[in-house]
Amino acid sequence: MATTTADLKPSASQQAAKRSIGKRSAQGALELLIWILLLIVAVGMLMPILWMFATSLRPPAQSFSLPPSFFPTQWRWENYWNVITSERIGYPRLFWNSIYLAVTVTVLQLATCSLAAFAFARLRFPGRDLLFFTLLASMMIPGVVTMVPLFMIVSRLNLTDNHLSIILPAATSAFGIFLLRQFFLTLPSELSDAAKIDGAGYFTLYWRIMLPLVGPGLSTLGVFAFLGNWNSFLFPLLFLTSRDKMTLPLALVSLAGYMGSGSQSEILAAIFMSILPLALIFVFAQRFILQGIALSGIKG
Amino acid sequence: MPSTAHRTVRITSRMQENIAGYLFVLPSFILLLIFTILPIIATLGLSMTDYQLLSPLRFTGLDNWQRLAADTRAWTTFRNSLFITIGAVFFNNTLGFLLAVGVNRALPRGFKTALRTIYFFPYITTAASLAMVWGFMLTKDRGMINWMLGQIGIAPIGWLSDPSVVIWSVVIFDVWKSCGYLMVLYLAGLQGIPDSLYEAAMIDGADGWRQMRYITLPLITPTAFFCLIISSIGAFQIFDNVFVLTGGGPGDASRTIVMYIYEMAFNRFEYGYAATVSVTLMIMLIIFTRIQFWVADRWVNYE
Repeated sequence: MATTTADLKPSASQQAAKRSIGKRSAQGALELLIWILLLIVAVGMLMPILWMFATSLRPPAQSFSLPPSFFPTQWRWENYWNVITSERIGYPRLFWNSIYLAVTVTVLQLATCSLAAFAFARLRFPGRDLLFFTLLASMMIPGVVTMVPLFMIVSRLNLTDNHLSIILPAATSAFGIFLLRQFFLTLPSELSDAAKIDGAGYFTLYWRIMLPLVGPGLSTLGVFAFLGNWNSFLFPLLFLTSRDKMTLPLALVSLAGYMGSGSQSEILAAIFMSILPLALIFVFAQRFILQGIALSGIKG
Repeated sequence: MPSTAHRTVRITSRMQENIAGYLFVLPSFILLLIFTILPIIATLGLSMTDYQLLSPLRFTGLDNWQRLAADTRAWTTFRNSLFITIGAVFFNNTLGFLLAVGVNRALPRGFKTALRTIYFFPYITTAASLAMVWGFMLTKDRGMINWMLGQIGIAPIGWLSDPSVVIWSVVIFDVWKSCGYLMVLYLAGLQGIPDSLYEAAMIDGADGWRQMRYITLPLITPTAFFCLIISSIGAFQIFDNVFVLTGGGPGDASRTIVMYIYEMAFNRFEYGYAATVSVTLMIMLIIFTRIQFWVADRWVNYE
């Protein structure tokens, strides 16, 4: 009996070892396949961006010539310079409009949303839950559905072709209030008690004590507000009519027809410059973007 | 006596708290009232009028709804939106999930971050501007996509000119742009699955496929359901992408509901009827969102 077990044991473990080696090489092949597939998808995802950059550096006359290039073969930075200096395009003006509107909206959203979120999370007042419920309900209905009356309200307020028509509707966000409220809720209640004993008012409690502690929430909302506004197209399309008031996406789309198909390179140069700030934000704030999506999954 | 004094203090402090609460939510609520809540109510009201740019507002009851029922163009745009939604949701979720599984593996850290960044970056780019880029790429004769297909012997496809193909161009652009977003959601779901389950499975000798079948798939279902709803809501509202990429054409072959609303309101100035179409979209979105909140509740309880 003892010998059989002794005989059996090594052979069993040998077999297991063999099997696991076989398994491991199959596993290795599978792993390699997955790597290759992941790389193929990555190349596909990058291609439009690479093509845009490479083509933006071609001489305009060759911008449509085939084969297409994915890495710059020529370096005609004049295309960029032409876009920036062209009076007809007025690129610096457009860029400034986009920056100015996105920053203003972001700052306003951070202020209004954090105030409201603080109140919903830390203060008690009659009707609070009803108001919060209204807020949640309004989140269900996106702006595209109400664009007709929104346009009428903006016209009635005489805000058409005025930057306030972009700023005011975006100056607060139900999503932002909802998001920041979650952050305020996590703060310990001892903080408010201590502040009360020190005789601090509610604004001091909000501004001095609690706001600095919800930094990650503010960063997340700030990044979303900036991106959302930089990329927004429908509202500028509805409200802004004169070229010198337009934001980049709207102006570039309306320019594309205007500039003609001959200067595809220059259009691509203009678009490439307009997504550079996004890339910059992405590099520095990717953490907040991913966190915000994983946290709520509401934005979309 | 001290107790009365104490109570007065408490009442005034309670009142101070109430006042502070109202003051703090005031800026947000004034803005939401004017630019969100009022427009929602006005949409409902306008949908029962024949309000146009130069005619007075007249209540017409359900006339617009009768018109909508007989409006074949509206039905075409509903069908297009539904097609784009189903296509985009299917491919975004499938690809998003597979990429998340791939990226979630034990890859070298730098490689992992690089891949995640590449997949996700299109999501934060400007839809309208990138739609222009894709418009150039999808040109039939000199577009780079058809050139590449030509290299493997495929005849040029009328991505933007063939009525039966154009809607696929919209789906392809949306998948390029949004699958990375779904990858991030699925990645969060995958990372919520406890490692101990996989370790236990490994000890029991379950191979990769079985781990996927009996651990990953069942435990990712709540995330997947949530993702399906989220991406449906997004796809139903598609506007920028299509407006710039195809302009809705050729004909109405790729026109979406939101584009139809836009056309009715701002090219034809039929505000009342545009509002009626908006209400149908609103109803669909509310149904989707209700399901989403319901799922989100269960999802949170789950963990």
